[in-house]
Amino acid sequence: MIKTRMLRNSLLLAAVGAAFAASQLVAQVTAPAPQATSPLDRSNPAASTQDPNLSGHPVPPTLTPTERIPLAHLKLPPGFKAEIWSQGHPGGRTMVMGPKGTLFVGSRGIGRVYAITDRGGRREVKTIIQGLQEPNGLVIHNGALYVFAIHRVFRYDNIEDKLDAPGQPVEMTAAFDLPATRHHNWKYVAFGPDGKLYVQVGANCNICELNNGTHAHIRRYNADGTGMEIVARGIRNTVGFDWHPVTRELWFTDNGRDWAGDNGPQDELDRLPAGQDGAFFGFPYCHAQGIPDPDIKMPNACANVVMPAALTGPHAAGLGIKFYTGTMFPANYRNVAFIARHGSWNRSDKFGYDVVVARPTADGKATIEPFMTGLLDQTKNEFYGRPAYVNQLADGSLLVSDEVNGAIYRISYAQ
Amino acid sequence: MKSTARSTASLTHNSLALLGAVVLSLFASHAVAAEVGVAARIRQCTTCHGADGNSQTPKIPSLAGQPEFFILNQLILMREGVREVAIMTPFVKDLTDADAEALAKHFSALEAKRSDETIDPGLAARGGARVAALHCASCHLPSFVGHDQMPRLAKQRIDYMVESLKAIRDSQRAGGDSLMTAAVAGVSDADLEALAHYVSSQ
Repeated sequence: MIKTRMLRNSLLLAAVGAAFAASQLVAQVTAPAPQATSPLDRSNPAASTQDPNLSGHPVPPTLTPTERIPLAHLKLPPGFKAEIWSQGHPGGRTMVMGPKGTLFVGSRGIGRVYAITDRGGRREVKTIIQGLQEPNGLVIHNGALYVFAIHRVFRYDNIEDKLDAPGQPVEMTAAFDLPATRHHNWKYVAFGPDGKLYVQVGANCNICELNNGTHAHIRRYNADGTGMEIVARGIRNTVGFDWHPVTRELWFTDNGRDWAGDNGPQDELDRLPAGQDGAFFGFPYCHAQGIPDPDIKMPNACANVVMPAALTGPHAAGLGIKFYTGTMFPANYRNVAFIARHGSWNRSDKFGYDVVVARPTADGKATIEPFMTGLLDQTKNEFYGRPAYVNQLADGSLLVSDEVNGAIYRISYAQ
Repeated sequence: MKSTARSTASLTHNSLALLGAVVLSLFASHAVAAEVGVAARIRQCTTCHGADGNSQTPKIPSLAGQPEFFILNQLILMREGVREVAIMTPFVKDLTDADAEALAKHFSALEAKRSDETIDPGLAARGGARVAALHCASCHLPSFVGHDQMPRLAKQRIDYMVESLKAIRDSQRAGGDSLMTAAVAGVSDADLEALAHYVSSQ
């Protein structure tokens, strides 16, 4: 036994030595990366005193046991019911449904893409892709799964026929040619009613001036990565958008700047009015309902800025948005948008951690009302879960992903 | 992924099962086997990271006193291939969640001690000024002991931090909060070195 251990240790040391030599070699041949394009963070140090009580919340990279999934905390309007639809996918956020019924789930830090299949009422979770940099952007097109990680793009053709061995994807990074900056650069992607692929590029800072031609906008492409056009500018960090089922207009969530106080500027729900492609939504000069930035000052900061359809709360972090087109929910939910609010970090009293309904009004704006609550305990200033994205199942029920619990809830309605 | 480094652990497990089949319940014998597996893992780690978790090896970080979640998270990210550290790959590729949790618990509980690197007072003073401007304490805490996914910087090896900061700035290192690439974007090599001297001295 002792002999075995000694042998093992010397083998180990040899392996360490070899690996170390290899890593030194790699370090020598690795070329330096180009500098970030817009490095200047103009957060005002006076406004943003270093507050050790405020920093991003960790995302557990390991399984959450069933008894710790906060299903019992969820509160819904009368007639609605929540259940755990799937679990065991740490960090799972974005959700897209394949035509054959596979739900694909993207993530950030843990770098995985999961495939969830329904096996006679039970869900089976597989990790089908690993090791990517924040593969939050997923979309299905003609049976292919597009995976947008930070600046790298992969296409897995006929993915639902090879979930056990997805094989080598077609790399489309060069075709899409997205900026390589990392911050606020995890992606959201969706195909619009025009058949184009829409993707955002976030501002790679909290608050800074940058090139609107490369950052802080939503752009669209043909499915093969050609024909890039910028459709909306001046957007700090949107990671969720959808099209109104009737007007076909693009609606998107946008996360407001940090370190300018607990109460704002509030996050936005924005609408790109038909015929205004290329419109400017204010970042970095003008926020929320017309608040000039305290750090980056510009005369008439809010002139020619498209104002939000609704404010979605200070630091609330609205991420996923989906217009409801099903028939399971009562008729007054038709064509309203469900928005997952991930919940605040840059705020003393936590806010959000819920799903709200945005009800479009005749003037092109929207009203916001609560829908799924209970994950935030305001008296303790603690949260139990963080809704990230929403999706609609074929039967009209609603899926809500909870990133920190690696779970997806299904919300159904019965009279 | 779930098939762990059981080739090493199974020997011990089998002998225990033979010896104590009557005394130990199946559950208990599994628990003992896991314990031995973790002990072996810890020995592996200390080969480079120092017997007490404080590294005396150039460019190899100290683990002692790091936040428990930080160690867990980085081990998982290396296992997943998100954070690629060639030298670590053999040790993390079969790591179970449970073993990663045990390692995190072990090393986070050890006391952080400075390495034998010399702090340059001039660089440390300059680093102190830059730390304030860059809001480092906002996440790493005013004492620089870190919390949750944010690492301890106080008493960490300077050479390791300089190398890491450059890699983060140049988008060459994945597996951290992308906020960090924005935090150090455009900071010169000389200033990164000054930052490392200052925070290590804390």
